[in-house]
Amino acid sequence: MIRNYMLYIAVLVASSSCSSFLEVDPKASISGENVIHDQASANAALNGAYVALRDYYSVNFQSIAYLSGDNVEWTGSQSQIQEFINHRVNAENSTIAATWNGLYESVNRANNIIKALRDNEALDITADERALILGQAYAIRALSYFDLVRIWGGVPLITEPTTNVGENAGVVRSNSDQTYAQILADLSAAEELLPQATNRFIFTKKTVWALKARFYLYQEDWTQAIAYANRLLTDTEYELLNPYYSFFKSNVTGTRESVFELYYNANELNPHRGQWQPQTNGGTRQWAPNAALVSLLTTAATGGARSELIARDNQNRWYGNLYYRSPASDPTYVIRIAELYLIRAEASAHANDYQQAIADLNSVRARALLTAKPASQNQTEILRAIEDERRLEFAFEAHRWFDLVRTGRAQEVLGITESFRLLLPIPYSQILADPVLEQNPGYSF
Amino acid sequence: MKKTTLSKYRILCILFTYILFAQESWGQVETKPIINATLQGVVIDEQTKQPIEGVTVQLDAVTHSVKTDEKGKFQFVTGQKLPFTLLLSYVGYERQRIVIDTSPAVIQLKRSSEDLDEVVVVGYTTVEKKNLIGSIEKVPLKEVSSIPTGSFDAQLQGKVAGMQVSTNTGVPGEALNIRLRGATSINANNNPLYVIDGVFVNSESLQTINSGGKATSPIADLNPSDIEFVEVLKDAEATALYGSRGANGVILITTKRGKNGQSTKIDVNLYSGRAKAAKLWDLTTGEEHALLVNEYNRNIGRPEPFVSVADGGRGLPSEQQTYDRLSEAFRTAGVHNADISLYGGSDNTAYYLSGGYNKQESILRPISFDRSSFRFNLDQKVNDKIKVGSSNSLSRTGRNQGRAGDGPQGGILQAALHTPTYLSPFNEQGVPVGRAGFDNLTLLLDNYDVGSISLRYIGNLYGEYQLSPSWRFRSTFSLDYNQYDEHEYWNNLLIAGSPDGLATSAIGQATTWINEQTLTYRKKIASVHTVGLLVGNTLQGSTFSLTSATGRGFATNDFTLISAAANTTSTQDWDKYKLASFFGRADYAFDDRYLIDFSLRADGSSKFNKGYQWGYFPAVGLAWRLKREGFLQDVSFINDLKIRSSYGITGNQNGINSFASRLLWSGVNTSYQGSPGIIPEQLANQQLSWEKTSQFNIGLDAALLKNRLSFALNYYYKYTKDGLLTEVLPGTTGFDEYLNNSAEISNKGFELTLNSVNIQKDDFSWSTSLNVARNVNNIEKLAKPMNFGSRDLILFQEGSPMYSFWVYNQLYVDPATGDAVYEDVNGDGKITTDDRQILGSIWPDYFGGISNNFTYKNFDLQTFLTFSVGNEVYNHNRFFGEAGGARDAARIIFASNLDRWQQPGDITDVPRSDGVNNNNYKDGGGRWLEDGSYLRFRTLSLGYNVGSKVLDRLSISRLRIYAQATNLFTWTKYTGLDPESAANGSPNQQGIDLGTPPQPRSFQLGINLTL
Repeated sequence: MIRNYMLYIAVLVASSSCSSFLEVDPKASISGENVIHDQASANAALNGAYVALRDYYSVNFQSIAYLSGDNVEWTGSQSQIQEFINHRVNAENSTIAATWNGLYESVNRANNIIKALRDNEALDITADERALILGQAYAIRALSYFDLVRIWGGVPLITEPTTNVGENAGVVRSNSDQTYAQILADLSAAEELLPQATNRFIFTKKTVWALKARFYLYQEDWTQAIAYANRLLTDTEYELLNPYYSFFKSNVTGTRESVFELYYNANELNPHRGQWQPQTNGGTRQWAPNAALVSLLTTAATGGARSELIARDNQNRWYGNLYYRSPASDPTYVIRIAELYLIRAEASAHANDYQQAIADLNSVRARALLTAKPASQNQTEILRAIEDERRLEFAFEAHRWFDLVRTGRAQEVLGITESFRLLLPIPYSQILADPVLEQNPGYSF
Repeated sequence: MKKTTLSKYRILCILFTYILFAQESWGQVETKPIINATLQGVVIDEQTKQPIEGVTVQLDAVTHSVKTDEKGKFQFVTGQKLPFTLLLSYVGYERQRIVIDTSPAVIQLKRSSEDLDEVVVVGYTTVEKKNLIGSIEKVPLKEVSSIPTGSFDAQLQGKVAGMQVSTNTGVPGEALNIRLRGATSINANNNPLYVIDGVFVNSESLQTINSGGKATSPIADLNPSDIEFVEVLKDAEATALYGSRGANGVILITTKRGKNGQSTKIDVNLYSGRAKAAKLWDLTTGEEHALLVNEYNRNIGRPEPFVSVADGGRGLPSEQQTYDRLSEAFRTAGVHNADISLYGGSDNTAYYLSGGYNKQESILRPISFDRSSFRFNLDQKVNDKIKVGSSNSLSRTGRNQGRAGDGPQGGILQAALHTPTYLSPFNEQGVPVGRAGFDNLTLLLDNYDVGSISLRYIGNLYGEYQLSPSWRFRSTFSLDYNQYDEHEYWNNLLIAGSPDGLATSAIGQATTWINEQTLTYRKKIASVHTVGLLVGNTLQGSTFSLTSATGRGFATNDFTLISAAANTTSTQDWDKYKLASFFGRADYAFDDRYLIDFSLRADGSSKFNKGYQWGYFPAVGLAWRLKREGFLQDVSFINDLKIRSSYGITGNQNGINSFASRLLWSGVNTSYQGSPGIIPEQLANQQLSWEKTSQFNIGLDAALLKNRLSFALNYYYKYTKDGLLTEVLPGTTGFDEYLNNSAEISNKGFELTLNSVNIQKDDFSWSTSLNVARNVNNIEKLAKPMNFGSRDLILFQEGSPMYSFWVYNQLYVDPATGDAVYEDVNGDGKITTDDRQILGSIWPDYFGGISNNFTYKNFDLQTFLTFSVGNEVYNHNRFFGEAGGARDAARIIFASNLDRWQQPGDITDVPRSDGVNNNNYKDGGGRWLEDGSYLRFRTLSLGYNVGSKVLDRLSISRLRIYAQATNLFTWTKYTGLDPESAANGSPNQQGIDLGTPPQPRSFQLGINLTL
């Protein structure tokens, strides 16, 4: 009996275990190369790329844009958030580090799709599907680089996926012209590949047009900006909802106001509301409307229907109420039709078409239940009116900082004495990790 | 594995199989005595004259032996004639060879003061303590098992030289950090390996809910009362047989077992007591708070907020109320324990059966801990050659949990301590409201509903076959199964549950199975050569699975099950790894004078790729017992003297992800618009492999003055190569990091253990034990500095110890301006991040414990002190509470802030307030880094043994009544409550004290009863 038992042990040890005992495969993830090999996997990878876009947009990237403006105050204890409000962002700031990584994660996911679909003719996928997926990947990459260049200026241009340690590191920064050229190339590639459809949650040809309108506004190509804005503004699928708050109140999503918004639901939660809502609504209210904004929004002549952006808690404190849903499924608004009105208004003002500029401005004001601005021939005055309108129209969206930097008004409006602060510092952790990255001038690291 | 290549693994397999069958089982012919004479006797203690039960009495020249009964009596029936030569042995007594010429005989046994004959378990075999080569310490747990903590490892603080126990928190049953001879790894696990009766058990918490950075201790599932003794294996010689898991030391736990020939006994241990915080924080009153806030606003030229209501202010400072939240959060907690065990044995069977219940409230409401446990250990001799047995423990550990660490949501001390005292818990309408972004304390305490139940089975089944007197084969199957069921329900009155409730339920299961075979050989040749040999193998598989569900949106607070939620989400996780090991050891002793051994373990891990899977961990040890040399033979004051040394390599792969070496794509939480997504998750590192620690040890053991003074001295040097390190990848890759073998860390130090019997009289005795150790940790190689902890307070960099504090050095407060002046390290005239520097670390210069034991007649008194000298603590509570009014309504102000600079000429180290993270109240300011040295009066215990006359009448063999105080005093300069507190249980964030309750002072009464 003992012999048999020992024989059993010996057999157990010597045979069964020797060959495959140490082979264990993961279940939560899959291990291996060529993961994108057919239509289903390409579609899944595309969803993964949207998730990357959504992740960096949900809190970090947007917060850089509005905290650096003049609408929001910080009630929490971490000074790294206060740095945006004080316009003294240090290279060690953790939000910029997380945003940098999030943006390049989005770029890498897009690159994986682009490489698999562009280079692999044998891929089991129809031509239409291939164009649809590839076009969206280009658009995601374009938007990611657009957001990178807006924060930091020119950045390293990565257009191939990373498959091994050592790849896509040590790439020097391109200048901002080269970065914008890459964005335009990607937008144009997407424009060509994508169908002219209306879908407010993913990229279509129309979404790309809207993005191009914004792109040309930043490039100060007024003609092109107006042309691309017109394509959306003449499309009956899009309209300004009246009153202002109709695009976000009552848990609505994908309204006719929306050109592109990032989708959330009860299973795909957006943590953004937690920063805004007061404790009684399960948030931290660490970001709150500041006194100046409260005053503007509660004054009928300036706030109008936009006063719905804020509310008061049980201790009489104001809080931002654009992101409020429970479960936390507030969309991230990337482009609304109101922006295209204001793009056309601004471009028209620059192109000296003041009548169009005032008309577009008043369209946006009207649905905010504000009185119309009278006609004017004063370009500066019109541009200021558009600037003020954008501040309130997009009070808690990712615009204010980029607008003021783009128009060269940031130093004056925000009282920034050192001009180098208009570009944020490259995260210190990135310079440590990749010494070829050159810091923006003026910063110590 | 490819069939064409004869891998190393297969060679080992074949070798093993060969060894297994090469041995003939030659049975021993049994000596059958001719029954014609009877020898009777009784064995008593030389001192107490009390009979000793269980002494092995053997007739010389025959294998036959008997054991003494309850009354110390034994009886032989033998064919020999008087006089007889008897061999007597019993643990704790000197071995005796005695010639008997009368029957019945009375034999007195002498206690061995330093238990040199005591047997010590060393990697799969046992050795007499005098012949030990490795650095191993044996701690009988009896002395400390009545300290009210959740897990036995917390009770070991100060008991073992070189074993640093950081308790982190006053919450019973929470995980602590144990470091044996320093720390060797940055990103893998630094915990020692825990082996309970041969079962390698999981010591990593299965907790998934957020309790503010803390985690529960899986070691608390074990009832300390069931532990006979604990052995701590420190050097490479001792740990090498545990190979890949030995780098951080090994803690071997041996539970109680019955003894053959021992009559049935029942032990009952009961205690009950009260625990309370020794002190609480000093806070400003509402008025003081208002004054400081006004002063801050004056400083920066803003209007004062605390002016009369008529002027639009919050009321004058003198009008402010003070609300005491601390006394609502803290309580006098109850601690209760009851254990009962039944044990004994016949000639062939030995058993131990026990049940225990332990309930401890935390001093911080509403946290509590309870454990019900059951154990059954059995050893059965089937015949002279075969023995089988089993160890089994089943326990249920329940916890009411609360966030007692970092906040803000649900943080108990955030609500109780960090909320300004002037703010009422009610708003103008009389509704309870949370202030400063934290929960309302009363609502929080009344509605807290977070808890877990850990169901744990640890057990094994073994069979032993004595192939010959020298050869023995043993096979064991072991299982460690843990089901961890946790839940949290936050109703809509709490921040986390607003606006309509949040519930989570998670069930995690960790299963480890182990199969192990060992073959041992031990033989004494020509009376001076002792040869030992051991070969063995282990196969192990560990699986972890987690299923978790979350529900949001409940109709009312009366509905708490996720099934009633409007929205539910769920998730699942799974992990598995395997380990295959082969090991061998050979030892040789000449005349018990020169001792040498060599061991080797080969471990293969499924976590690594082929070609990098196998690690080989050798060790060699030498010892020289000088006392056995002629020149010391006659030196009577030296009873034993031994020099020993060892060198070896051990490994570590614990705590890293099971698939860390692979290229991974994930599908977890990656859906968009409800349709599934996949994302590249991790880059491959094909070369990922073992972390390797080499260790050199030299030590001296001595027993002097009739064994009344003994000491052990050790010096060690450890060097870790290929340290597992999470390296940052440039963000441009689309990945944050990957795991690599690149760090190098050294630890060196010494340890001294001293035992002294100061006085040994008939009715009075006094003995002292002292241990002290020093460890110097240094990061030898780290390509890029790494920060950890809030505000980057902790920095790892090459040339400095791990866990170093990285702060601005505040030199003084300028008496003229009230501004803090910091050391300008780079001398550029500005204070920037470049001026942060390492000022101390969590490592003490020295640490250890001192215990004194006194007995007087039937009384016994024990005092036990632990100490730590030279370690730093960052008082993060004070960082928040000393912002000089700049945090206004968002944070408490500590009373210590009242010492601030107010006018030119003031000499103080608290500067005037200039705002958050400006010059004077900078993040990472060195002002809050404090000396964490302490001397703690860990236990004071007084016991009384009821006299035998009374006991005999009650037929009780032993009754001890005792009173004990734990953490009676702590002498420290640290201004917080407990220098051991840490907000985060994560090893790389130790020493940052925030929102954590202190270890309480407790008093208890108890009895130990043996029937």
